[in-house]
Amino acid sequence: MDANRGNGTAGNVRPEDDTRRRTLRTIGGFALLAGVYGLAAFFSLRLALVEENITPLWPPTGIAVAVLLLFGTRWWPGIAIGALAVNLPITESPFAAVITAVGNTLAPLLTVWILRRARFRTELDRPRDVVVLLFAALSSMLLSATIGAASLVLSDQLASGEFWTSWSVWWAGDSMGVLVVAPFLLVAWNRAHHRYLPPRRLELLELFVVLAVLAGVALFAVTADVSLLFVALPFVGWASWRFEQSGAAPAALLVSSAATWAAVGDRGPFQGTDLVDRMITLLGFNATVAFTAFFLAALVSERARSREALERGAADLEARVQRRTTELSDANQRLAAQIAERREAESKLRRSERQLAEAHEVAGIGAWEWDLASGEVSWSEEMFRIHGVEPGAFPVTFDKAIGFVAEADRARIRRTTEVALEQRRADVPDVDYRIELPDGRTKHLHARARFSLADDGTPVRMFGTVQDVTERHEFEREHRIADTLQRSLLPSSFPEMDGVLIAARYMPAELGVAAGGDWYDVIALGGERVVLVIGDVAGHGLDAASLMGQLRTAVRAYALEGHSPTVVAERTDALMHEVAEDEMATILLVALDVEARAATIVSAGHPPPIALGPGGARLLDMELAPPLGFGPHARFGASTTSLETGEMVLLYTDGLIDRHDLAIDEGLRRLIAAAEANRDADPEELCDRILGAMVSGDVSDDIALLAVCLTPTPPGDLRLRIPAEPDALSEMRRRLARWLDAAGVPADVQGDVVLASSEAAANSIRHAYGPSKAWVELEAAISNDEVQVVVRDRGRWRPPRGRGGRGLFVIEACMGSVEIDRGGSGTEVRMRRPVRTKVAP
Amino acid sequence: MSRLAGLAVEEQDGAVVARVTGEIDLSNAATLERSMLDAVPNTAAGMVVDLTSVSYLDSAGIRMLGEMAERLRWREQRLAVVAPEGSRVRGVLTMAGARDVVAFEDSFDAALRTVVGEG
Repeated sequence: MDANRGNGTAGNVRPEDDTRRRTLRTIGGFALLAGVYGLAAFFSLRLALVEENITPLWPPTGIAVAVLLLFGTRWWPGIAIGALAVNLPITESPFAAVITAVGNTLAPLLTVWILRRARFRTELDRPRDVVVLLFAALSSMLLSATIGAASLVLSDQLASGEFWTSWSVWWAGDSMGVLVVAPFLLVAWNRAHHRYLPPRRLELLELFVVLAVLAGVALFAVTADVSLLFVALPFVGWASWRFEQSGAAPAALLVSSAATWAAVGDRGPFQGTDLVDRMITLLGFNATVAFTAFFLAALVSERARSREALERGAADLEARVQRRTTELSDANQRLAAQIAERREAESKLRRSERQLAEAHEVAGIGAWEWDLASGEVSWSEEMFRIHGVEPGAFPVTFDKAIGFVAEADRARIRRTTEVALEQRRADVPDVDYRIELPDGRTKHLHARARFSLADDGTPVRMFGTVQDVTERHEFEREHRIADTLQRSLLPSSFPEMDGVLIAARYMPAELGVAAGGDWYDVIALGGERVVLVIGDVAGHGLDAASLMGQLRTAVRAYALEGHSPTVVAERTDALMHEVAEDEMATILLVALDVEARAATIVSAGHPPPIALGPGGARLLDMELAPPLGFGPHARFGASTTSLETGEMVLLYTDGLIDRHDLAIDEGLRRLIAAAEANRDADPEELCDRILGAMVSGDVSDDIALLAVCLTPTPPGDLRLRIPAEPDALSEMRRRLARWLDAAGVPADVQGDVVLASSEAAANSIRHAYGPSKAWVELEAAISNDEVQVVVRDRGRWRPPRGRGGRGLFVIEACMGSVEIDRGGSGTEVRMRRPVRTKVAP
Repeated sequence: MSRLAGLAVEEQDGAVVARVTGEIDLSNAATLERSMLDAVPNTAAGMVVDLTSVSYLDSAGIRMLGEMAERLRWREQRLAVVAPEGSRVRGVLTMAGARDVVAFEDSFDAALRTVVGEG
C-alpha cells in the first residue's frame, strides 16, 4: 500500500512493465482497503441501532482517516468501493446507498483536509494535534451523518421523524471512529515505525497489566446499575501518563468500546434513557475519554521532549563549556610557554650581551653607532673606557667624538668619513688613528665602520667598532727597534781568510714573541787562526738584544787579546755577573787552527757543533758547562778535534732544533739528517737548505746559524832544498804530497806529480858530482788549473845512458809537459800537470 | 835493509817469496836487490816479489826488478812480481813499460805459478 515503495525497483525494468506493476499494485491496494473497510463495517454493523445501517461506533471511518493520512488521499477509491459495498446490501434504494457511500468517502477526506491544513502530526505528540483531531472529527462527520441520514429518509427507508435520531447516532458513530479508532491505528503505525522513543524494559508487560485492570474497571462500570463510567478515567489517565500515545490509544479504544457496548445494549449507566440521550451521553463520554487520553499523552510527550531538549541543551552547553575550558587551558599553556620562551630568550640575550661586553672589554673593543638623521651618537661602555672617561659621562655627538682624535689625525678622519658618506657604500675602509685622552695619554685605535643604507641607497646609520691597539703598536715598535739593533750588532761581513768559507743566517722570531738575543761572530786572529762564536741570550726584546751586543763585544775583545777559548768564556762569564745579574746566555766558542785542521771547542750550555764531511755528519765532542751567568766561578773545559779538509763546521742556536712541536732530540736528529742530505753544498747553500728543511711556518724563537768550511788552502809556492842524497828523496816526496793535498790536488794526480818530481830529483842526485855538499832544489806552484814543479841542481845531468833513460820516460808519462834546461851551472827540469783543484777562489 | 822498506822472505813450493813493504827508490833499491837475491838458493825454482804493500816505486825500483830478473835468468831461475791491478805500483810499472823486463801478475798465486811452472 505504500506508493513510494515501487520506486526503488525501477532500475532495469521496462517502463510499460513498471507502469503495469504500479497499476496492479494500486488496484490491489484499493481492493485491500475496500476489504478491510468492509470487514470492519461488517463487525460494527452488528451494533446497529437504527435500521441496519447506523451504529454508534463506526470504525471504518477511523480506518479511512488513518489510511488517507498515512498513505495519501489518492487511496479514496478504495474507501468509496468499500463503503458502497457495505451500504448496497443494507440499503433499499441503490441510489441511497451510493449517496451514503459518497458521504462516507467525503467525510474522511474532509477530515484529512482539515488536519493537513492544521499541520496535524500523526504522532499525536502535541496537545494541539489532539485538539485539531477532535475538532476535525466532530465537524467533518456532520457531513457524512447529514448525507447518510438524509439519503435514508429520502429513499423512504426512514421516516422523516426518525431523522434526528439517525443523524445523531450516525454522527456519534463516525466521530467515535475518527476519535478512537484513527488515533489507535496512527499510534500503532508510528510505533511500528519507531516514531516514538523505544519502549522501556518491561514496559509492554506493565501496559498489559494496566489495560487489564482498565478492562476490569470498564466492565464493572458499564455493568453497574449506577453511572460509574467516570471510574475508568483515572486508569485511562494512568495509561496515558505512563505510556503516552502507546497507552492512550488502546486505553481509549477499550473504554470507548465498553461504553458503546453498554449504550447499545441499554445496559448499566445507559439503562432507561431514550436513544438520543444515550447517544449524546456516549458521544460526550467517548469524546472526553479520547480527548483526555490523547491530550494527556501529548502533554507528557511534549514535556518529555522539552525536558529532553533542555537536557540536550544542558549537555550541549556543558560540552561547549568543557571544550571552551580545554581551549582556554591550551591557550593558557601556550601563552605560558611563550612567556617562558621569551623570558629565556631575554635572559640569553642579556647573557650574550654581557659576554659581548666582557669580550669587548678584554679585547679593548668599543662599539659605536651614529644615527645620521638625528645626529645622535651612542657609545658602548667600553668605548667610553677606551677614551678614558666613565661610561655615559656625557652625551656623545660626532663633534664630541672627533674632538678626541689627535690633532694630526683629525682632518684625515673627517675626510675619510665624508668620502664614505659621499660614496654611499656600505663598507668603509678600516682606519688607524690616535686619540688623546683627558689625562694626556695617547692611544692608537683601529677602527672599522659600516653604513646602514635605506632602500634608495641613502646612508641612514653608521656603526662600527674601535679597537685599542696601543699595546700592539708599542710592541711592534719595540720589536722593530730590537730587530734593527739585533741586525746592526751582528757582523755584516766576515774576515777574508784563505782556506775558510763562512756563511751565517739570522731569523728573528715572529712578531708577537719579540726579537731575541741570538748572535754569532767570526774573529780572525791572524796566523790562520779564527774563533767562531755563537750565543743565545735568554729572553727577548730590547733588553736581550742590548745584552747580546755587550757580550759580543766582550768575547771579541778577550779573543783578540789572545786568550784561549776557556779563558774567554770565563772572563765573559765574570763580566756578565758584573753587568747583567740574573741574566743568562749560552755561548759556543770554536777556535780553529786552519792550517793544522784543529778545532778547540768550549761550550757554556750551548748545543754541540756539527762537523759535516764526505763521510757524513757528526756531533763534535765538548765538555759540558753551565750557561754564562748561571753561577759564580764556573769552569769551562775545552776539547780539541781534528778536522778533515773540506769538512764543514755548523754552529746553531737552539731555536733551530728546540721547537714547540718537536722534541729537542728529534730536532737535532732532523738537523743532522738535513745537513747530511746537503753535504755537497757550499756554506751559503747549506744554510739556506737547512733553514728550508727545519723551519716551517712561524718562527717561535730566534734562530742563528753559522757554517764554516775548511777549504783546501790555496797554498803559497813550495820551495824545498834537499841535500843531493838519495835518503832525502823520501822527505821531499812527503812534503810535496802535503803541499799538493793542501792545494786540493786529487790523489791520483798527486801520485803522478810526486813520482815525476822524485824521478827528477833522483836524477840530479845520481848525477851530482864533486866533493862539496850538493843540493837539489824543488819549487812547486799551483795556478791556472795546473801544477808546476821545477827541480833544479847545481851539476849537470849526464847524457842518458842505457836504462837510465827510464826515469825521464816516467817523468814524461806522468806530467803533461816537461822541459829540461841544461845550463852551464846545472840542470833545471820544468814540469807542468793540468789539474782541477778544489781550491776556493 | 833500508828504513824506507821492509822485507820478509819465505819459501813456498820450491820458490822464494819476498814480501816488500814501504817505498822503493834510489836510496834503497840496491840494498833491497841484494837482500832479495841473497835469499834465493840455487835449488829454488825462482822468486816471487810481492809488491802489494809497496806505496812508492819509481824507476830505480823498476831497474832493480829488471836487474834481478836478468841475474836469476842467468841462473836458470825465474822472477815474477805481484802488482795487483789498480794499485799505484801496477800503474807505475805499466806506465814505465816494465813488462819487457819483468813479468808481473795480479795475484800471488798467478805469480807463483809463473815461477814454479804448472807443467
